Amino acid sequence: MTTATPRAERIPRTRSFRALEPTRGGLVLRYIWLSIAAVACFFPFYAMVVLSLKPGLAVQFPQSLLPWNLSTASYEQVLGGQNVLVWLGNTLIYALVSVVAVLLLSAMAGYAFAKKRFRGKETMFWSFLAMVMVPFHVTLIPTFIVLAKLGGVDTYWGLILPTLANAQAVFLMRQFIQGLPDELFEAARIDGAGEFRIFLTIVLPLCKPVLATLGIFIFLWHWNDFLWPLIMAKSSDMWTLTVGIASLQQQNVPLSVMLAGSVVALVPIFLAYSVAQRYVQEGVTSAGIKG
Amino acid sequence: MTTTPTQARPPAAGGRPRGGSRDSRPPGRSRDGQGRPGLSKRLLGRREARIALIFVLPAFLLFLAFRFGPAIAGVGLSFFDYDISGELDWEGLKNFERMFADPTFWQALGVTLAYSVLAVPISLALSVAMALGVRRAFRGSRFFRSVFFLPVITSLVLAGAIFKWIFSTDGPWSAIMAPLGLGGSWLNSTVLVIPALVVVGVWSRFGYGMLIVIAALQDVPREHEEAALMDGAGAWSRFRYIVLPHLKPTLFFLAVIETTASFQVFDLVYVMTQGGPAHASYSLVYMLYDQGFKYTDYGYAAAIGVALFVMTLVVALIQRRVLGRQK
Repeated sequence: MTTATPRAERIPRTRSFRALEPTRGGLVLRYIWLSIAAVACFFPFYAMVVLSLKPGLAVQFPQSLLPWNLSTASYEQVLGGQNVLVWLGNTLIYALVSVVAVLLLSAMAGYAFAKKRFRGKETMFWSFLAMVMVPFHVTLIPTFIVLAKLGGVDTYWGLILPTLANAQAVFLMRQFIQGLPDELFEAARIDGAGEFRIFLTIVLPLCKPVLATLGIFIFLWHWNDFLWPLIMAKSSDMWTLTVGIASLQQQNVPLSVMLAGSVVALVPIFLAYSVAQRYVQEGVTSAGIKG
Repeated sequence: MTTTPTQARPPAAGGRPRGGSRDSRPPGRSRDGQGRPGLSKRLLGRREARIALIFVLPAFLLFLAFRFGPAIAGVGLSFFDYDISGELDWEGLKNFERMFADPTFWQALGVTLAYSVLAVPISLALSVAMALGVRRAFRGSRFFRSVFFLPVITSLVLAGAIFKWIFSTDGPWSAIMAPLGLGGSWLNSTVLVIPALVVVGVWSRFGYGMLIVIAALQDVPREHEEAALMDGAGAWSRFRYIVLPHLKPTLFFLAVIETTASFQVFDLVYVMTQGGPAHASYSLVYMLYDQGFKYTDYGYAAAIGVALFVMTLVVALIQRRVLGRQK
């Protein structure tokens, strides 16, 4: 905060006069309240890490939050128990398979909706759109019943397949591909490229930015998904991280072990976010993708 | 290298035989020599349609099987009695009669609405406040944005354990609130459990709204704000009369999104309170989950799903009304 003051002085001077630039005092004030908000926002993460490193402690606030007398015993317990690693693997399968499949399917459908003429196109497209309105919970029970009859409970395909029907992804892909110039496809067609080659070599590469944005969101959704895996994965070796860690919370597991599990589950998602931060923020602001 | 030839080709295509062969290539095998361009064009269109269908069908079939079908089945199921035994009995409106006579349903509806009424405005207000704080680039603005967005990508299931501790008797929340006479565990209080869930819910969602509001703030004309400043308008009146009117459509959109999301609150309740104490945080989706997957009373659970659907539709209708009036 103290280093901020000289900066505040410098910015208005190097630029042309801008009436709306905050005054020095205003900027200091802003740093203060933003920092308070940031600390409040970040506090749960800090507490999570510190308490996970303090096994067997009667957790008394505020002494418990001081970062000393740390031990990694809880992590050894969590990672040594095998379960967390199995759940991590399941979550990775659930998320990665879905990302690849949804991106491919929605890019194909989006391409056809954007650039092709065929009968029933409008009806199909609007039925996609209308379904965005229907809450997931209305479809939950029938989907579960049908999959249970087909033997999909406790299997990867039963878990993954229903989540591939993603109307929002199709809609976004169509929006993006509509903006691509027709000439590109025409030129390839004249060169004798088949439709599938056009799709693979022209459409997909051009869609890279939107695929990246959509991909990271689908990854996030699946990584954090809870109710669906909770219902579909019955045995503990089919659980995803969220289901497994929620079950730890229901048992009498020490707080530090539970938190160590949460930290282990959060690290990959934070890594993914730090790599793809730009796409995440752009996805929210330009496409309005739900977080 | 690659752009020049592709740009040159389309005009040349019409005149050269190469271009002609392109036109008649797919139907050429069957229609060659008949010289009816209209027909070959139609056939070409049919071929295009067939390819288009191949592209659309995988997504569309999945969609029919897992969204459209179940949505209709979900509404249909609410008129039946269907449980684990597998017998499907027509019940007519009995599930709904039972729902309206069920005090637990009204409790769940009340909890859901109370949560939404508190969480949505607080979340929106916080989104706007933080967006105003970081809207213009300054040293650290990106850092603040990222910190505020971090909870959005964090699963509430994973954050649940630490928040349970934060709200426990030994936790910091109790210590902070003790001077106000609100110490003790909020999660064990039938009155304070909803506000506690609202705190966590808002923590996990305001960053999303903040990003949306930041984008909308870029459309506020700077000159208007500067003019107001010259006229001696204070920060509050500049916000109230210049910025806020510009934000209205965005805030409205956000309010709809946040309301429908808060109607569906489940993860939070599941990990923090399991609906307790004494059903004080028993939300509608939690009830749906209980009825469907604990008591396997699928028909009744479907009826609760329909109630949720109707609530979402009401919000959507209000949205259309208001948007219509604005136009």
